[in-house]
Amino acid sequence: MKHLKGVTFFSLFVFLLLFLCFVFVSASDAADSENCLMCHKYRFLGRIDEHGKKRNYNVDENIYNETVHRNVPCRDCHTSIQNLPHEPITDEVNCGNQCHIKPPFAKENFSHKAIIDTYNKSVHGAKSTDSDELKAAKPYCKYCHLNPRYTKVEEERVSSSTLERCFNCHEEKGVTQAYKHITHRLRHKTSRSRQEIVELCSKNCHEDVDKMKKFRVSEESLESVETYRRSIHGKAVALGSEMTADCVSCHATSKIHDIYKKDESASTVNKNNLKRTCQQCHLDVTSKFVQIDVHSGITSSEKPFLHFLEIQLGFVLYGTIFGLLGLALIETIGRKKDGIKWQIKGGTTWRGKSKRGFEDE
Amino acid sequence: MIITLTTVVGVLYHLTFSHHGPALLTPFKEKIEEKNRSLIMEEVKFLEEQEKHRHFHNIAEFPEMPEDMRPVCFICHSDYPHSKSKKVRALLNMHTQFFTCEACHFENKPGIQTVFSWYNPMDANPKGPFFGTSYDSESGNLEAVNDKFSKITAFIKKGGDLESTMQKQDAPLALDYVKIRDQLTPNERDNVKKKFHVNIKPKGHECKECHDRKSILDFNKLGFSANRIVDLEQLNITGMITKYETFYLPNLFKDE
Repeated sequence: MKHLKGVTFFSLFVFLLLFLCFVFVSASDAADSENCLMCHKYRFLGRIDEHGKKRNYNVDENIYNETVHRNVPCRDCHTSIQNLPHEPITDEVNCGNQCHIKPPFAKENFSHKAIIDTYNKSVHGAKSTDSDELKAAKPYCKYCHLNPRYTKVEEERVSSSTLERCFNCHEEKGVTQAYKHITHRLRHKTSRSRQEIVELCSKNCHEDVDKMKKFRVSEESLESVETYRRSIHGKAVALGSEMTADCVSCHATSKIHDIYKKDESASTVNKNNLKRTCQQCHLDVTSKFVQIDVHSGITSSEKPFLHFLEIQLGFVLYGTIFGLLGLALIETIGRKKDGIKWQIKGGTTWRGKSKRGFEDE
Repeated sequence: MIITLTTVVGVLYHLTFSHHGPALLTPFKEKIEEKNRSLIMEEVKFLEEQEKHRHFHNIAEFPEMPEDMRPVCFICHSDYPHSKSKKVRALLNMHTQFFTCEACHFENKPGIQTVFSWYNPMDANPKGPFFGTSYDSESGNLEAVNDKFSKITAFIKKGGDLESTMQKQDAPLALDYVKIRDQLTPNERDNVKKKFHVNIKPKGHECKECHDRKSILDFNKLGFSANRIVDLEQLNITGMITKYETFYLPNLFKDE
């Protein structure tokens, strides 16, 4: 009996040891330490929900392992999951949660909380005074931020002398990558292109005038996308410029999420802050310069002179083009009637004898 | 002539591709779009966009099987046919990637011998490798394959020949049904549906019938690798579903 007890105790001890090894090894090796992908790796894991919406729960492990959240364990975000098979998840993920990633030299685990605090204070954060419809329409984290694939920065703008000093203590591969990551972020305000930023702010949101009207935005804001696209900034960005201002360049500081209405003192486009905002790109910013209306709508009531000038220039442009076209057309019809044919020969396009008795050269 | 052509090209460019151009054509475009407008299609596109943002994990692109090559069941039951059991509906739907509906729901009558084999509507004799049959030795993930459409289905053995139990959407009966279904009364429609389901049983196989060492599927013959067979036959999730009401995830090692 005593012998049996000893065997049982020993078996339990071995089992516990193996279990602990398994948990610690797998947790350190992969983000999916709880093997959620056992089910979620399959493409047709999904259903049609009660509202007729198609829901797909597949997580492609090959793609996910290349994304910026690849090291975050699933339940760090999906905190409501406590049992398996789990209930449908109805709670939104709270990006302010602390996850089990500890950044280098940090005492606490990583969290997006600081950004969320900034965002909540901004015009896009849901306020207690907002209507339910407005709260639902405001962009939450996932509206703007997808989980992009991690792309290595390939720029060669690396200070080799600085890096060499880092190698005294750190491994070359990791520290080069970290250095590139940090310096790249210092040079670029956002990781998205200018065109993508404009598209993101416009599509399904700021360019939807009916939607904006519902939320009683100012007349100026109603036309903001249209007037931006007509501006020199909008045209340059549409043509592919990466040096010209997009929405975020002017409406937020380097915190990116601190976008306020322009009458609020913290707003980057508040009249007291405009000089600093324009100075990000324009060196010689004067008080006159900041008076230039960036979102300029040219209407007959607001700017009659510019409005009139625009119509005049339109007439001149189209009058010239269609005038020339018309003349060329009349000329062509007349000559055809006279029996003179088109020929491109020796620089002459018309050849033949006219019915009216004269010969074209 | 050259001047005229250049001017015409210039005007066309200005009206179409230039920065101002599209705005000039917008009213015409809107008129054409208004004519072809479908509220349902708009909703479908909106929901797809919404799902992309909701999902967050990057929805993997995957080629869709041509509509007329899908099994006839998809007309009414879609890609996600299981909805009743809250606990396992998503898991059951997951199986549609690997099986045709008939593989689980074909009613095997006495005297009929069925075998399971791979079926591909685009390839009469699919050779594989098939998705889900092996692991990538480097990453440990399921191995990526070229064949995206092959599924396991039930075949009736008739002498030396195998006859598929499934019906495609271009089968005469299915084509006829799609054509006239709006003219049928609900009763008539039910009768036709009964005809479609004459060899179909509502409840498919139990987990253990396939995920077991005595599986009705010959994984080896179907081309599954040895380690994949072990995982499928001894699948933990089967136990979680059949043995436990709820399986609690341990929080033992969390920092809470």
